[in-house]
Amino acid sequence: MNRLFLDVHALQTVPPSNLNRDDTGAPKSAVYGGVPRSRVSSQAWKRATRSYFEKQDLLDPGELGVRTKKVAEVLAARITAVDPALDEAAALLLAATVIQTATGSKIEPPKRKADAAKDGDDGPAPESKYLMFLSSRQLDGLAALAVDGAADIKAYLQDKANKARAKEIANTRHSVDIALFGRMVADSADFNVDAAVQVAHAISVHRVDTESDYYTAVDDKNSVEETGAGMIGTVDFNSATLYRYAALNVHQLAGNLGGGLRDDEARSTPVRRAVEAFVQSFLESLPTGKINTFGHHTVPDAVIVKLRTTRPMSYVAAFEEAVTGTGGYLREAVGRLAEYVPDVEQKYGDEGTTVSWVLRVGPATEKLSGLGTEQDRIEDLVRSVGQAVAERLDKPA
Amino acid sequence: MSVLLLRLAGPLQAWGASARFVRRTTQSAPTKSGVIGLLAAARGIDRGDDEGLARLAALRFGVRIDQPGVHVRDFQTAHHAATGKSMPLSERFYLADAVFTAGLEGDRAFLDELAGALRTPVYALFLGRRSCPPDPGIVLGVHDVPLDAALSGEPWRAAPWYGRRRSRDRTVSLTVLREPGGDEERGERGDVLRDQPLSFSAEHRRHALRAVVSTTVDAPNPYARQPAAPAPVPPHDPLGAL
Repeated sequence: MNRLFLDVHALQTVPPSNLNRDDTGAPKSAVYGGVPRSRVSSQAWKRATRSYFEKQDLLDPGELGVRTKKVAEVLAARITAVDPALDEAAALLLAATVIQTATGSKIEPPKRKADAAKDGDDGPAPESKYLMFLSSRQLDGLAALAVDGAADIKAYLQDKANKARAKEIANTRHSVDIALFGRMVADSADFNVDAAVQVAHAISVHRVDTESDYYTAVDDKNSVEETGAGMIGTVDFNSATLYRYAALNVHQLAGNLGGGLRDDEARSTPVRRAVEAFVQSFLESLPTGKINTFGHHTVPDAVIVKLRTTRPMSYVAAFEEAVTGTGGYLREAVGRLAEYVPDVEQKYGDEGTTVSWVLRVGPATEKLSGLGTEQDRIEDLVRSVGQAVAERLDKPA
Repeated sequence: MSVLLLRLAGPLQAWGASARFVRRTTQSAPTKSGVIGLLAAARGIDRGDDEGLARLAALRFGVRIDQPGVHVRDFQTAHHAATGKSMPLSERFYLADAVFTAGLEGDRAFLDELAGALRTPVYALFLGRRSCPPDPGIVLGVHDVPLDAALSGEPWRAAPWYGRRRSRDRTVSLTVLREPGGDEERGERGDVLRDQPLSFSAEHRRHALRAVVSTTVDAPNPYARQPAAPAPVPPHDPLGAL
């Protein structure tokens, strides 16, 4: 069976906060079950997840990608590292030519800056028109190729085999973040990578009305004039118990990562590292919108992870009828899951092949304990998930 | 002819017919290209595989609006990773709280295969946009009746809270948007939409025109209040008090 999906579900309570704003500055919202809900967009949480990899050093920088328009400069630096005999201008020209061949994307000096620098000296370095996303491994490969053909790069790349190799380098062994979240390059579509992860918008399990905080600030130095506020304003916020969901396509991830980031490791090893990093980052990261105003640093109270061979399944429908708990929403939300999950799993899931884990905090989440193998710490959860994924991948079909 | 019936529901859906660049809108009902895309994901048909797509796109498509939902506007910003500068802002529209019944008419064996693929898909399924996963229970079954009969025979699939809101109506009138059948003149009534997928290839995504006939069907409302028995009229005898 060539299907393996990892479902991650979490209930997370955030105090008054504004994680993800719309253009009026209010927290994003949606309607579900006929009532307004708080919403945090999938893009916001994907960005938070991706920056968490880097901040927490969950992955070796070599397994992450660089997303920049200044891709020629980045590659040129690697080229001069390989062959210090090349001067900067030569390296830049090599870099631009190789990237253009490998990705099909135009690499040229930005026009406006070029015009501005006309009278001056060198002019700006060439850039790609769109953000280019390349893994460390890909950049090293392209640098080696550029040095190989440094004598006459144009002629070198006209050779069909070399041209194919350039494309091949740019399109295999993607960094973990590209493999998980995908890559879009508008002007060379065959260079795109489809994301292995699907992240849903987080929505509150209960009705949420946005509130507005009216504030005044005193002018400390104002002793002469009549007293009054030096400044007034409002900040919109809400607080919510969010249901968060993501599905990871393990085989697609393995395909995107290619043969492994290093030659000496099993196919499942980079997949395992990527899966572990994703699960931990998705659960622990937080969009930083107005975080210094509200300090909403929370972690999920309840986590369910499922590794399955049937279709991924969101449990959001358990909250279509809004939770109306008194004394907090978490306990009732947990109760809803405890009823919904076994029911929907029995009807649509595959109990024979699905593996389940639970991580939970506090007495309000007790009802979840029967829903999977309980884990004591997030590290244990992450390791168990990674190990199960690796075992399934290594097992011959 | 048989029909594969699907229930398309989830907190958010987005069915763009001309969604490009920074303003990405949604139609009020699932598009054929979107639903065919969902089936292609289930079967693992890759973007460039036009032949695999053609087999799916040949199915006759219809959709019933069981619960229309509301439009939600999402405003999105992006920042340059290195400089922190703002990238172009974009607007995305979603349909929240909507429920649809979609039908695909074709050969029984092929539809059975598709129903199986939806249970064990190759790629994750989504309702028009990747961040919109569907509710479980997407497959309602394969029925050996024509498309029109399948869509009008299916019970109303709205959520209980929505059904209760309409408890005064014993039946509800549901809009059906479907492709004309063999004996109907193509495009004789209704609209023409650029929504017949020819290629999902990333280099040249192409769609042809297709006709859409709009009709309505009545479905019983299981949440209707039973009309109260008329209250007995007390005998009217104004002179009785005398």
